[in-house]
Amino acid sequence: MIEAHELTKKYGQKTAVDQVTFTVRPGLVTGFLGPNGAGKSTTMRMIVGLDRPTGGGVTVNGKVYRDHTAPLHEVGVLLDAKAIHQGRSAYSHLLALGATHGIGASRVREVIEMTGLDSVAKKRVGGFSLGMGQRLGIAAAMLGDPSTLILDEPVNGLDPEGVVWVRELVRFLASEGRTVLLSSHLMSEMALTADHIIVIGKGRVIADAPVADLVSGATTSTVRAVSPRAAEMARLLNSPDVTITSVDGETLEIVGITSAAVGEVAAANGIVLHELTPMKGSLEDAYMNLTADSVEYRTGVFDPAHPTTANAHADPARIDTPHEPSHAASHAAPAPTHTEVSR
Amino acid sequence: MSTATAPARRSTALPASPLRLTAGGIIRSEWIKLRSLRSTVWAYAIIIVIQIAIGLLIASFSVNNVAPAGSRGPNLELADLAIVVATAGVAFGQLVVSVLGVLVISGEYSTGQIRSSFAAVPKRLPVLWAKLAVFGVTTFVVSLVGILLAYLVTYPILAGSNITSNLFDSGVYLPLIGAAGYLALTGVLALGVGAILRSTAGGIAAALGLLLVVPVIFGLIPVDWAHSISDWLPGSAGANIYQSGGVFEWWQALLIMIGWIGVALAAAAVLMRRRDA
Repeated sequence: MIEAHELTKKYGQKTAVDQVTFTVRPGLVTGFLGPNGAGKSTTMRMIVGLDRPTGGGVTVNGKVYRDHTAPLHEVGVLLDAKAIHQGRSAYSHLLALGATHGIGASRVREVIEMTGLDSVAKKRVGGFSLGMGQRLGIAAAMLGDPSTLILDEPVNGLDPEGVVWVRELVRFLASEGRTVLLSSHLMSEMALTADHIIVIGKGRVIADAPVADLVSGATTSTVRAVSPRAAEMARLLNSPDVTITSVDGETLEIVGITSAAVGEVAAANGIVLHELTPMKGSLEDAYMNLTADSVEYRTGVFDPAHPTTANAHADPARIDTPHEPSHAASHAAPAPTHTEVSR
Repeated sequence: MSTATAPARRSTALPASPLRLTAGGIIRSEWIKLRSLRSTVWAYAIIIVIQIAIGLLIASFSVNNVAPAGSRGPNLELADLAIVVATAGVAFGQLVVSVLGVLVISGEYSTGQIRSSFAAVPKRLPVLWAKLAVFGVTTFVVSLVGILLAYLVTYPILAGSNITSNLFDSGVYLPLIGAAGYLALTGVLALGVGAILRSTAGGIAAALGLLLVVPVIFGLIPVDWAHSISDWLPGSAGANIYQSGGVFEWWQALLIMIGWIGVALAAAAVLMRRRDA
């Protein structure tokens, strides 16, 4: 159980984490999502006392982390794979780490085996690939058999097999009743792994909800229809609660009506459909929508899915960054092409 | 959100653990860290080799020239010559222990290891104290071994010129132990400097600067107080721990050295607690 209350971290004038309040519960995998610079890592570092909060506080299992008698048994943390002296072997690193808590060589060998590092355990960490470094970081986190795990980007640099392994590991650990908090940039991965998601943007909590709620709440289901008589089709579907976006001359993206209804209308009017696809919102879409206003480092590349907008008009909602990230959820998707069909 | 029962399950599934963060554990951890790095092993090997090599060099010179080079006064006792020879390598050894002392802590900051260390020991300062204890004791023991070996290998050379001494004479073994102590304290001071600066390059520059450059600067200032200050610097005052005939008695020199270390460690401790890792 991790409880953060109005947790704040300022670096000079810059506020990295701004009065963040959340609870990470045991028995669940909680995903921590947010763009680069959103404050995820800083928040995680504050939980284990590596960064000192400017304001507010955070406890683990009811106590500030540094007040626990066996910190490694409370929290296992993977902050970044490079938090290890490059000149030491994986085995020596784990042995030294464990020694602080009276953890012996047999447990060290156990976590080495668990993370598949047997063959490289005696080699110096400096020669490790990113993936091996991640495995070693996870081994270190598991060392004290902790009730809470904090994993910052655990699948970063892992091969597909490693990604599946981490997913199964964290799901298993949560099923044992442990608290698991992990951050990831891979939204699709998060959708498969997490039960609960905390979205953070510009240092604030934007959303804190079960995955399913988050997806349905922050995305709208769109129906994609392709027809040679798209304009006529759009006219027939038009109603106040239906939004129709024309992607190109033949493709429509329709929000506010089911694909079945679109099909009925087409059939009733003898319009040929080349494609009729219900497009379900994904966690990725939800995430993009939620964080659209709070991306710290935006690339200057236009969305390739909507090339027609490239030089037409850049959507102001995507460029401006309104100062209310907490309301971002209600801003909904800033759809790039609003060639809305006239009534 | 289907697991309202999870906390209860947790408490039965994972029973209370015997794991506990202890001072002894932290010291053991620092010992594992120290011995598992090649740089440590190399540095300590160099200290021993330097003691022996320079001892042999000075011993042969001394025998050839009867009086030792850079003689420290006309009344030099013959037994003193054995000490001068055995501790001649300290001047070089102090550079090695300074570099190593800085590396012991700056290496953790530059690699990010410090975050692992502080995650395991969130109160932080026990890490610093354990490092000091382990590094200080190890450096003392290694230095003493090097100095004793230098004494033993140069003994036959000096004896060939009828210069003999008795290792079990307190006038001989105390200065040798003092020289090893000086090296250990110099290393500990460098560790404190490294903990303040956190960077390897900066730490080494500062530690060696304090040892070698600062005395020169004060020596160049042609006023008395500058020379007095120069006497109190760790390099010059510290040498009085094992060299007789200096400005300070050995115990005064020891106290001055401890004072320097105290100041450096106090600053390091305050900063270590306050700064983000």
